[in-house]
Amino acid sequence: MTASTPESYLSEWDRRLLEFEESRHISVFRRGMRNLVRNRLLLSGVILGLLVVGAGVLGPVIAGGDYELINFSNIHAAPFSEDALLGTDHLGRDTATRLFVAIRVSLAVAVGVTGLALVAGLAIGTVAGFRGGWTDRSLSGVMDFIWGFPLILVAVLFAGGLGEGLLSVILAVGLVNMAAIARVVRGEVLSLSEREFIEAARAGGLSNWRIIRKHLLPNILAPALVLASYYVAVAIIAEAALSFIGLGAQPPLPSLGQMVAEGRNFLQLNHWETTVPGLALVAMVLSVSLIGDGLRDVFDPRLRHEAKGLES
Amino acid sequence: MKENSPEIQSILEEYQQRKLSRRQFLKKVGAAGVGATAAAALLASCGSDEPAATTAAPATTAAPATTAAPATTAAPATTAAPETAMGPSRGGTLREGYNRDVSKHDPITTNWYDPAFFAIYEAIVTVSPDGDFVPQYCTDFSVSGDGLEYRFTVEDRQSHSGNAITAADVAEFYRIQKFSFIASLASPISHYEVDGNQVVAKMNNAWVGTLGPLATGYWRIANINTWKDVGGYDDETGLAGESVVASVYGTEVVDATGPFKHTEWVPGSHSYVERWDDYPGSNVPYFENKGTAHLDAIRWTVITEAGQRATQLENGDIDTLLNPAHQDLARLQENPDLTVYQHAEWSGYFMFMNREHFPELFGDVETRRGLSHAVDREGMAQALLFGNGAATYGPFPTTDRYYDPAVEQHNNYDVAEANRLLDAAGWSMGSDGVRERDGVPLQFEFMVENESLQTAIATAAAAQFSQVGAQADVNVVDRAVWFERAGGPEVPAGLFMWLWPIPIDVLTLFCASYTVPSPNWSHANEPRIDQAIADWQSAGTEEAAAKAQSDFQLAWAETLPNMSFINQNSTFVKNNRVHGWSPHVWLLYPYYNDTWIEA
Repeated sequence: MTASTPESYLSEWDRRLLEFEESRHISVFRRGMRNLVRNRLLLSGVILGLLVVGAGVLGPVIAGGDYELINFSNIHAAPFSEDALLGTDHLGRDTATRLFVAIRVSLAVAVGVTGLALVAGLAIGTVAGFRGGWTDRSLSGVMDFIWGFPLILVAVLFAGGLGEGLLSVILAVGLVNMAAIARVVRGEVLSLSEREFIEAARAGGLSNWRIIRKHLLPNILAPALVLASYYVAVAIIAEAALSFIGLGAQPPLPSLGQMVAEGRNFLQLNHWETTVPGLALVAMVLSVSLIGDGLRDVFDPRLRHEAKGLES
Repeated sequence: MKENSPEIQSILEEYQQRKLSRRQFLKKVGAAGVGATAAAALLASCGSDEPAATTAAPATTAAPATTAAPATTAAPATTAAPETAMGPSRGGTLREGYNRDVSKHDPITTNWYDPAFFAIYEAIVTVSPDGDFVPQYCTDFSVSGDGLEYRFTVEDRQSHSGNAITAADVAEFYRIQKFSFIASLASPISHYEVDGNQVVAKMNNAWVGTLGPLATGYWRIANINTWKDVGGYDDETGLAGESVVASVYGTEVVDATGPFKHTEWVPGSHSYVERWDDYPGSNVPYFENKGTAHLDAIRWTVITEAGQRATQLENGDIDTLLNPAHQDLARLQENPDLTVYQHAEWSGYFMFMNREHFPELFGDVETRRGLSHAVDREGMAQALLFGNGAATYGPFPTTDRYYDPAVEQHNNYDVAEANRLLDAAGWSMGSDGVRERDGVPLQFEFMVENESLQTAIATAAAAQFSQVGAQADVNVVDRAVWFERAGGPEVPAGLFMWLWPIPIDVLTLFCASYTVPSPNWSHANEPRIDQAIADWQSAGTEEAAAKAQSDFQLAWAETLPNMSFINQNSTFVKNNRVHGWSPHVWLLYPYYNDTWIEA
């Protein structure tokens, strides 16, 4: 902005007010894109996330190698050594190839788990909050009961029943995350149910299903999505942690936690075997967190306005 | 030593100059017409910078000439600092790192015996650093001329509880011990009798291996009266009765005669013993300390994390360590504050293949051999053990004096041969890279304990199987789960590590037809192997023992009741403040009678 533009004559307050008025009339997508460009953290998260997703989706195709292929004559190689961009592990397996597959495993688990948890959490939380009474008490009781269990314990229980592996991880993380999402959604629904527009809808004779579909879900979807982005990060970390202790992905299928676990025995020999998957884990979680924060900015007008100084 | 032929001498020189590996050496001298025993003796005579060599010293006057203590090429090789000239000081707690979880301290019902058994218990005889059987609980022992009777003189003793143990109690202990799962190792011993102050082992037949099992942890003598009091044993149910299964012996109550008393046993964490101040002293001739122990106590800390063991020793959290990770060995050897003991270990890793429940996979020997040829054992030994061990093509470690290099004709790494055998067995390659036969894919669960080295071995083997079209799905489980499932109808294959001072004895357990389904988890029923076992357990002479063991190894290598992979060396490390802690090759663990710590 320069002094010659008409806006320069406006006060700072008027300029922000104008932006706010404009923002009410543009689409969520456009607003999101604008926020994406303006919010450097969000932009960083998206770029980082694209890199991670690209590595997970395209990496195994580009690398082309067999993540299971061992080479006893080239063990514990450092990054950028011959024929091994990111080095090799204790069996001489190519770290880059394994890393790409591990990222794909982590992404698949995290997105899959969170998707399932989101759908189930939305359904349970909405029904509980909207119906109230014994339905709410029973569903909330079950959700609170599940939420009270530490994730590791739930994972151990599933592993004991189903055996170690990704299925146990998916079920354990999904169950706990579902409970978390359901509790938050229930709270939102309870709050919304007291609002005038819901009362009006009821008074207008709309069916419960229509009220939920047309009025409640659109209003709780945004916070639920923001919450889900947080639980994607949680799922990534949980999958890595459970694989680290041997409950998750089973060898030879690589996962980030398992690669860290295998490498930790050789820290003094070649720390890259742990550092490389560790950094990948950091990048994944960081990108999801940044995107989550950005989404919150997009979807939560209060925060957006706070950021602009309209409300303080 | 008599003079060797020029050819042999040349091979010897090459070996001493490290131009040949031990395996290459054995192959070459084998090709030159030298038998296995003689080759091992040659190897033993030229240890040079390999672990220092010893040959079996003559047995003590009291002991019969037996094969029970296996001679080896690998006596303790240490990077030892000289022992200090100061005398032993009393007191202190020895903190020892242990690479496994602690087993319950009951010789009769335990699945594994730990170092604590060497502090709490005494065996009737033990093995000296020279490989001789020497008295421990007994004061003297002898064998009859026909080899059918072993007599052990025992004095009336008191155990930790203050109760008496007589010769009759020792005989009763041995009688009940015969109910244990391990008892078949000493099956040539018919029964035990008491003659005054002597315990008499009556033999079914003369057997050169008699004393071997008696010196191990499973035959270490408990006060059988206490054992019964706590467990409520009765003859009808043997060890299967509920009262024995629920017994607190070995976990809360232990009553024995060693220099230390059981104090605490916490699975997954530690076990702890304290000095027994009423210890009457040891009969073991090579112990310097004939009285009560110097140490106040010993604590074994479970450190199953491979990478942590060496670090804890370096940080001073522990004083001594059993089996650091192989990758940390070089670093420990360079540390001037530490002493590293390395020697052959009577152990090995093998894969069982359940033929009973999965005959379509492992029922034919061609398939088993095809899979075996896909495994690069030399590469595994180098990569996973960092050279601190060797490939095994048969059941025995290459360092055992009865090791027969002829097994190396079998199971060599040869992918083309592996594919040829699998083709011949009718396995055709599927479009997904997994072979099929009669609609059955060559795919199986490969169960392995949750321990880093074992997982790595299983993963490496599975990766190599996949190169010939076999898919082994590695399933990592807890140790207890492993034992619960092994041999059952749901598990086709699993990795196991055995550890025993006399290989032939324990290896019979894993392949004899009479130990199906456990621990013959393969459900193998090979007449050649059963015959070799019978020959071993009836071997009355050294020659017969050597032949039986050779037959056993070859039968194993050819019929593959289990698939051997590698054998690691044993490594013990101590802080130089610790003295009198001297592990040796003949025993799995050190004794603690002489051990003391600088103040």
